[in-house]
Amino acid sequence: MHALLADSTLTGGLLTLAQSDFPHALSTLTLNHYLFVSAAMFALGIIGFLTRRNLIIMFLCTELMFQAAGLALIAFGRYHLNFDGQSFVIFVLTIAAAEAAMALALVVLLFRRRESLDADLWAELKG
Amino acid sequence: MGVSMTTIMDAILSAAVAQHGGEAAHAAVAASHGVTGPLWIGLIPLLPLLGVVLVTLLACFNEKSKMPAWISVGLLAVSFLLTLFAYLGWNGHDAIHLKLWDWIGLSWGDLRGQTLAAGFAFYFDGLSLLWMLFVTGLACLIGLYASEYMEHDAGLGYCRFFAAFNLFVFSMSCLVMGDNLLMLFLGWEGVGLCSYLLIGYFYKKKSAVDAGMKAFVVNRIGDLGLLMGMLLTFTTFGTLQYDALFNQIHTGLTAGGTPLSQTWQVWAIPLLLMGGAFGKSAQLFFYVWLPDAMEGPTPVSALIHAATMVTAGVYLVARMMPLYLADPAHIALTAVTWGGAITAFWSATIAVAQFDIKRIMGYSTISQLGYMFAGLGVLATTGGVFHVFTHAFFKATLFLSCGAVMHGFAGQLDMRKLSGLWSINGFRVVVIAMLIGCLNLSGFPFTGGYFSKDMIIAEAFVTPDSVIAGSSWAGWLLLLTAGMTAYYTFRVFFRVFVGPVVYEPGEDLHAHDDHEHADAHGHGHGHDDAHDHAAEHFHPHGPKWAINLVLTLLSVGCILSAGLYFLGDHHGWAGGMVHASSAVVDTHAVEGGEEALLFGQPPHEIMFYISAVFGFGGILLAAWFHGPKGIAGLLIGGRTTAAEVRMDPIAKALRPISTWAVRKWYVDEFYHLVLVTPLKIFAHLFHWFDKLIVDGLVNFFGATPRVSSDAIGESTQTGVLHDYALRMVAGIAVVLVVVVLVLF
Amino acid sequence: MLVLLILLPLLFGVAVLLRPPAAAKWWALGGTSLCLAIGAMLVGRFFANASPDVPFQAQGSFAWLPALGLNLSVGIDSVATLLIGLTLLLGPICVGASWTAIPQHRARLFYGWLLVLQAAMVGVFAARDLLVFYTCFEFTLLPMFVMINEFGSTNRHKAATKFFLYTFTGSIIALAGLVYTAWAVGTRATGVDGFTLDIATLTEHASHVLTAREQALVLLAMLCGFAVKVPLFPFHTWLPLAHTEAPTAGSVILAGVLLKLGTYAMYRFVLPLVPHAVLEHAPAVAILAIIGIIYAGLICWVQTDVKKLVAYSSVSHLGFCVLGLFALNSAGVTGSVLYMLNHGLSTGALFLLVGFMYERYHTRDMREIGGLGAKMPIWSTFMVFFVMSSVGLPGLNGFPSEFLCTMGAFISHTGWTSGAARHVGATWGPLGPWFGFAAGTGVIVAAIYLLAMVAKMVWGTLREPAVHHGEHDHHAGGPHLPVDLTAREIMTLLPIGVLCIVFGLFPTQTLIGAIESDVNAQVAFVHERSGEAPTEHEAHFAQQEHRQQRDAGRDEQIAGVKP
Repeated sequence: MHALLADSTLTGGLLTLAQSDFPHALSTLTLNHYLFVSAAMFALGIIGFLTRRNLIIMFLCTELMFQAAGLALIAFGRYHLNFDGQSFVIFVLTIAAAEAAMALALVVLLFRRRESLDADLWAELKG
Repeated sequence: MGVSMTTIMDAILSAAVAQHGGEAAHAAVAASHGVTGPLWIGLIPLLPLLGVVLVTLLACFNEKSKMPAWISVGLLAVSFLLTLFAYLGWNGHDAIHLKLWDWIGLSWGDLRGQTLAAGFAFYFDGLSLLWMLFVTGLACLIGLYASEYMEHDAGLGYCRFFAAFNLFVFSMSCLVMGDNLLMLFLGWEGVGLCSYLLIGYFYKKKSAVDAGMKAFVVNRIGDLGLLMGMLLTFTTFGTLQYDALFNQIHTGLTAGGTPLSQTWQVWAIPLLLMGGAFGKSAQLFFYVWLPDAMEGPTPVSALIHAATMVTAGVYLVARMMPLYLADPAHIALTAVTWGGAITAFWSATIAVAQFDIKRIMGYSTISQLGYMFAGLGVLATTGGVFHVFTHAFFKATLFLSCGAVMHGFAGQLDMRKLSGLWSINGFRVVVIAMLIGCLNLSGFPFTGGYFSKDMIIAEAFVTPDSVIAGSSWAGWLLLLTAGMTAYYTFRVFFRVFVGPVVYEPGEDLHAHDDHEHADAHGHGHGHDDAHDHAAEHFHPHGPKWAINLVLTLLSVGCILSAGLYFLGDHHGWAGGMVHASSAVVDTHAVEGGEEALLFGQPPHEIMFYISAVFGFGGILLAAWFHGPKGIAGLLIGGRTTAAEVRMDPIAKALRPISTWAVRKWYVDEFYHLVLVTPLKIFAHLFHWFDKLIVDGLVNFFGATPRVSSDAIGESTQTGVLHDYALRMVAGIAVVLVVVVLVLF
Repeated sequence: MLVLLILLPLLFGVAVLLRPPAAAKWWALGGTSLCLAIGAMLVGRFFANASPDVPFQAQGSFAWLPALGLNLSVGIDSVATLLIGLTLLLGPICVGASWTAIPQHRARLFYGWLLVLQAAMVGVFAARDLLVFYTCFEFTLLPMFVMINEFGSTNRHKAATKFFLYTFTGSIIALAGLVYTAWAVGTRATGVDGFTLDIATLTEHASHVLTAREQALVLLAMLCGFAVKVPLFPFHTWLPLAHTEAPTAGSVILAGVLLKLGTYAMYRFVLPLVPHAVLEHAPAVAILAIIGIIYAGLICWVQTDVKKLVAYSSVSHLGFCVLGLFALNSAGVTGSVLYMLNHGLSTGALFLLVGFMYERYHTRDMREIGGLGAKMPIWSTFMVFFVMSSVGLPGLNGFPSEFLCTMGAFISHTGWTSGAARHVGATWGPLGPWFGFAAGTGVIVAAIYLLAMVAKMVWGTLREPAVHHGEHDHHAGGPHLPVDLTAREIMTLLPIGVLCIVFGLFPTQTLIGAIESDVNAQVAFVHERSGEAPTEHEAHFAQQEHRQQRDAGRDEQIAGVKP
């Protein structure tokens, strides 16, 4: 936070993350705005993951958390004016896609075994 | 291999002109300090090494003939001749140097300021030449003797014997000829190895294996002293090379410029080196390995454990004499004197009570080595070194005679079971050789042993007590020992070699195949009822030509060695050799020119009479107590059987003490109790400590996660995905809270 | 060429897997022999071109992830070259020693991993950055784990697990130390604001940027890993177990090379990276080493399992190696490097001999077996020979190393500063004469336990186990071996024997001369850098400075982007 403030003063004003052609109403978007959205998305994902029992919903919640993290990364990348964040997000997206394919296939398999999508039916790892 | 082949070619070419070449060499390069020797000097140790290789090759081809012996003897003979050439070509005062290659060389520091340089290099001065002459000469003769003595084992055993034998000569040459302390150490450990291998030659016998190991380990303890002495020498003088070292000592300063007399190293180094010397030469606490070493074949006992290897300690002290003299308080020299004198006396007390003739010779070796050390200690380096030389001959003769007896009587060594060898066919040469050896050992007038021993004892009286504390007391102790020596030596002679013919074969009867012929010869000459069944068919066989020849040559050598006393200007030939070496002592400078008197006479003159009295006294005592009836018992003996002598009732009367002496004062048992057993207990303790505590801790740490997770897992591992997720989130939350609280 | 030496065994490892099982050992032999040939060229070329100005040769670097600053770089100095030579020499020997011991149907697994192991070991010695080093360092564990776990004897699972977990735990802590150093150098010296993994850069800067406290902690962390690997008392208990259970080739490699990874890492990292702490704590390490020498030696004496005896003797011997290293002077460090090589040769050979005996009798218990002198004369001859080399008999290879290690400890100047005398022979170092003396007693102990072993195994009357039972399935059905060693077995021992003699008689020409300038430079470096470590303030300041520079750079960037 200190660093942020210091930087703001260095550049002579509030540092924004907006592109020059952004609508005027959004031109004062700061890093904090993005982080807030990201955190909200992440919290929603966690809550969903913990409360729902449906495998597909739970999976969707994990995707939500992924994207929350991705959003934060992009925001930071923009803030630091480098491409690290974006490149990471591309990695994350790629892996998420591959993983989605795998996970959904697994869900199908599980459904075939028990004829149900209830996650708590699977407790073989007990012990 | 390649190296030795080329050098051998070199030798063949140069041997023909060796003498002239040697002279030319020293004439041309007679620099102020030493001359560079011709390359063929390097062959003296390398030829035996070649012998090792050749004999090993023969072993690979499973050679069953006596070939290994002939190769060894031949190579050793060439070695001896080369030594002789080197001696004849030597100019008599300068050391000959020859460096073959850098062995361990290392330099470091700014601009390579410090250097450890130990070349594989040789250094020939009077001392090393003297030693090399008898080492190679005796090795050659004893090799010839062994060719017959070891003939039962023709085959792998024979090869093993001669390989180790050659390796021994190589190592001993490196020890003696080495040009620095590390080279000496190379030979030092090498002879230790060969001693180990040869003592344990009869490796199926547990006592032999144990004896070999004992010899090696006891020697190693002494070696620690030598090693530390070497390192201390290096830190003090910055070099291990003899010439540089002696030059540095000569300046009276350490390499750092401190006056030597102000440092503690000046007495610590010689004491440490003395530890090594005492280990190798079986003195003081270290002597216990040498009697056991008699388990080895007799040629080995003769060469290694009597004539050569055990004198390595004497060589070391003689070589390092400048270091010993550098200490104004003569602490180390006093220790050497008293160590030697006490050992001489102590082992004589054991020798008088033993019945195994080879062990008696073993103890007498320890005792005589004690004389040599005492000689060096009281500044009689000439006497000490001369005694080494004469002792090498007469003790080799004695051992080889005992060996011939052993060979003929299937390993019998008990003097209570042997008598009258003079009257048994084929043993005449042995008895005569034995007599000559005994006369030398007991210091009979005009024998070599007489002159050399007198020089030592007389010098003990000459050297003032202010220089060597209690020097004259050591002299009296040595005189007393001389009497005891004469007694126990002739005790052996009178009991075994003359008198009525009685014998029992030893236990080796079944060990040697060639005794099968005894059956054909029917009963032996013995009439003792105690014969067991096998022994009834026993027939002693006298030695053949090789043993007889060697014994004859050695006896002649013994007689001639006395003549060396009359050669040259410096108290005999040995004195001349010592004079041209680092062992020379300027006695006047050390003693301050005090004129010592014994019974109002100069000790060196009156000693001839005193020691003759002690020698005769001992011989007469032996004759009275052990001599047989008749002329060979000098007309005062009264023994009629092998087992009973006049000494028996006296020994019985002195019962506890005489038993203790027979049991060697229980020193072995004492060491076992005080050193070996505690060490073994420690070893077992450590073993259990390692298993239970050290490894136990490791296992404990390894087991902790597993055990604890087993306990926790029961309640927490539900298998339900949501439970895990919840805990994970909760965990992260806790961490986050902690982080936030700590950081902000 | 170095990369080739790492990749070739891997390629041959793949080939072994792809070819039929019967061909596995031939492929393995071919692969290791080819590597040995290349290695011989490498060593030859290295020493032909050696010069004190260019310590590292055959350098190569491959930019793996340049964005993250990750390179894979290799290069060798004389010490690494010799150790690579040792590794490559033991390759064909191990294959030869396993020729009949490994049953054919499992040969692919064994030889495949053996080749992978060789690649990893070469990688450790060739590494010039932490990434390659640590990857290879840890990768040696896996093949060894498989070899013990799959081809060991009765207790193999426990041994393999313990070996893996113990050394791995240690290495992880060492990694922490290394990474911290890499971070400190990165943030305080080179300004990359991250981790510097290049070993040369690390060596150059680490001692300037780590405070005394940090150095001590990094030293502790690194020692945790490397001392376990060496192993130093009291971290040695995995070793006897692993050695006892491992197959012959495994033991040979374990003793010959894997233990040296620890001492090599000490030489390469511990000494130059944290010299200040090393100087301060060297006596403590040396005391552990000396305890190890005597303690393990005495334990050897009461062993009944001959392989365990040889294993404990390694603990004892490597005590000398560590002692020499921490003497921090030329004599000691030279001795230590020599020890790495010579111990690999002589103890490797002893393990070979024990293995050959085991293959015939399926027992290692000296109460059951012994007195083989008459029955196996060739075996016995080699046994006595290598025992003498191990005892440190002058003229054989053990002596120069042992002597120089002891001497290094003895002549360390710290012990000689008292009194008025200046000692020219004494040289810089943290130990003193008492350390040399204590280590010297180890020489006596070594004679006791090794000769006791010879007395039981070689001398005495013949003792053989009643039945040669094939306790382990994979031994059953193997070819019947003759009583004494076969030509193949002799061929595995002979090169080692020849080297023992050559290194014993010509150590200066072969080894000391080769490593002298590198070791002297290393010692001088440690000497120079050990004096003062930066204070915490200085370290902090350096870090701040670099951070400011970085920030300034970023601000310029931002300013450039802003219209």
